[in-house]
Amino acid sequence: MEAAELRVGFVGAGRMSGGLARGLLRAGKVPASSIMASAPSDRNLGAWRESGCRTTHCNLEVLQESTLVFLATKPHVLPGVLQEIRPAVGPHHVVVSLAAGVTLQTLQRLLPAGTKVLRLMPNLPCVVQAGAMVFARGSGAGDGEAALLKSLLSSCGLCEEVPESYINIHTGLSGSGVAYVYLFAEAMAEGAVKMGMPSGLASRIAAQTLLGAAKMMLETGEHPAKLRGDVCTPGGTTIHGLHQLEKGALRATVMNAVEAATERALDMAKD
Amino acid sequence: MSVGFIGAGQLAFALARGFTAAGILAAHKITASSPDTDLPTVSGLRKMGVNFTVSNKDTVKSSDVLFLAVKPPIIPFILEEVGPDIEPRHIVVSCAAGVTISSIEKSWVISPGFLQTWCSVSAGAAFGTLIRCMTNTPVIVREGATVYATGTHADVEDGKLLEQLMASVGFCTEVEEDLIDAVTGLSGSGPAYAFTALDALADGGVKMGLPRRLAVRLGAQALLGAAKMLLESEQHPGQLKDNVCSPGGATIHALHFLESGGFRSLLINAVEASCIRTRELQHVADQETISPAAIKKTLLDKVKLESPSLSVASTSKVSLFTNKSPGGKKN
Repeated sequence: MEAAELRVGFVGAGRMSGGLARGLLRAGKVPASSIMASAPSDRNLGAWRESGCRTTHCNLEVLQESTLVFLATKPHVLPGVLQEIRPAVGPHHVVVSLAAGVTLQTLQRLLPAGTKVLRLMPNLPCVVQAGAMVFARGSGAGDGEAALLKSLLSSCGLCEEVPESYINIHTGLSGSGVAYVYLFAEAMAEGAVKMGMPSGLASRIAAQTLLGAAKMMLETGEHPAKLRGDVCTPGGTTIHGLHQLEKGALRATVMNAVEAATERALDMAKD
Repeated sequence: MSVGFIGAGQLAFALARGFTAAGILAAHKITASSPDTDLPTVSGLRKMGVNFTVSNKDTVKSSDVLFLAVKPPIIPFILEEVGPDIEPRHIVVSCAAGVTISSIEKSWVISPGFLQTWCSVSAGAAFGTLIRCMTNTPVIVREGATVYATGTHADVEDGKLLEQLMASVGFCTEVEEDLIDAVTGLSGSGPAYAFTALDALADGGVKMGLPRRLAVRLGAQALLGAAKMLLESEQHPGQLKDNVCSPGGATIHALHFLESGGFRSLLINAVEASCIRTRELQHVADQETISPAAIKKTLLDKVKLESPSLSVASTSKVSLFTNKSPGGKKN
């Protein structure tokens, strides 16, 4: 599939699909005119229209107008939507589901046999092209589809193909992980406020600190433990601060969080 | 070269054992002294072929390198007792935790008999070379961890000589004195942390069905192997840990438990506590609050010196005194 003839559709126009679309647009991968989104009401569609995307209230129209289709509805709504669009799904379509907890097996069962189906789990920072996404391919999807998706979505951040079993882990780690980081940043800033810094400044510095640290991890490829050691002058401020974190068993608590979110994703998938 | 130990306890025993096993010293070149002949280490030292005596002065006379291997509060008494017998050519090594070089040098100066020598000889040559050392018990199996700091009058060669000696029984490096308390907390006390961990690991093994002996053996080997890997690797321990943890596997589950229990924090706390306590002890020593038992022991020692010595197995009668007795403590 040539990029030129690529027409991208979004069934569901909520935050997640909006984030992906914005990423694609900012990176210039797809012109707005080649993007169409559907939603039951106008509530979310205004922003799409303002960006120059096409909108509709008819899911079938998205299938008819697009070759690459993202299914971005709430999980409990999806089975009904699949029933609805099934007649319009053809061998030329690439269907990518964002629905948490809906397995490839379920998707393939509800779509025509042989449909190229993939399952994607993004996270919110896709909006600012700093997302972390994983996807798994169904039996009908081949290397070409995987490569297309990876190439398109790399414009939104890190995009990796994984076995389907990793998707729930990704949810616990990175989907929800963004919230953990916000919590941590807030706490860091609060500490600074306690010590006398204005909150706005503290917040911006906390965010930049996280950004910088993450950038160093990604760019150096060094183990975080080593990077941590590099910051710790003997007897200095950092090691004193770190000791407090260890006393609070921060590591175990974070592990617990990832575990809990992942288990919840698994539970929800069973429902 | 001959080596002497003032004190015949765990430290003297461990070092003597290590040196002889390393072949760097013959047992008969080692002398150890203590007023208490009932210590289990005393018979151990004798069995090794080390010269044991109750006379600290004899130890000083027959040694080139003199280890002060007594408990910290006793150091001032030792210095007062044998100070006059210490010559500029002696290398005096204090192993006492928390006892600073300056506190020893101060004690030296105030020893009345020694003061006379100090006045009559040029300042730099009056003192024996003083080195402060912190080692640990695994010197006994030649896997010790030793650091040393040199006193104001020590030559570079003296430090190197000690380093050679201690390197024969493990790792040895020179440090600035202000780091020695931290070293005490880490590697001085470290073997105790390890023994505690090993005891507990063995319990875990036994709980899950292993016979005790095997559990102890395997636990010890696991820690030994891990330590060796780390010492021989360029990698960060965090990376080495990752290498053992397969995704979703047994090890990562176990590690989660360790983290939940604040394992890392406990170890940090332990090193910190030991270091702080070492500094406290130094403070206590500086205030010269000595236990009555320690005073009694040194008095006992002085009494024994007046009577025929009990067992001086030393074959070497060569006197290292080249000058006259410096008007010191003649009993």
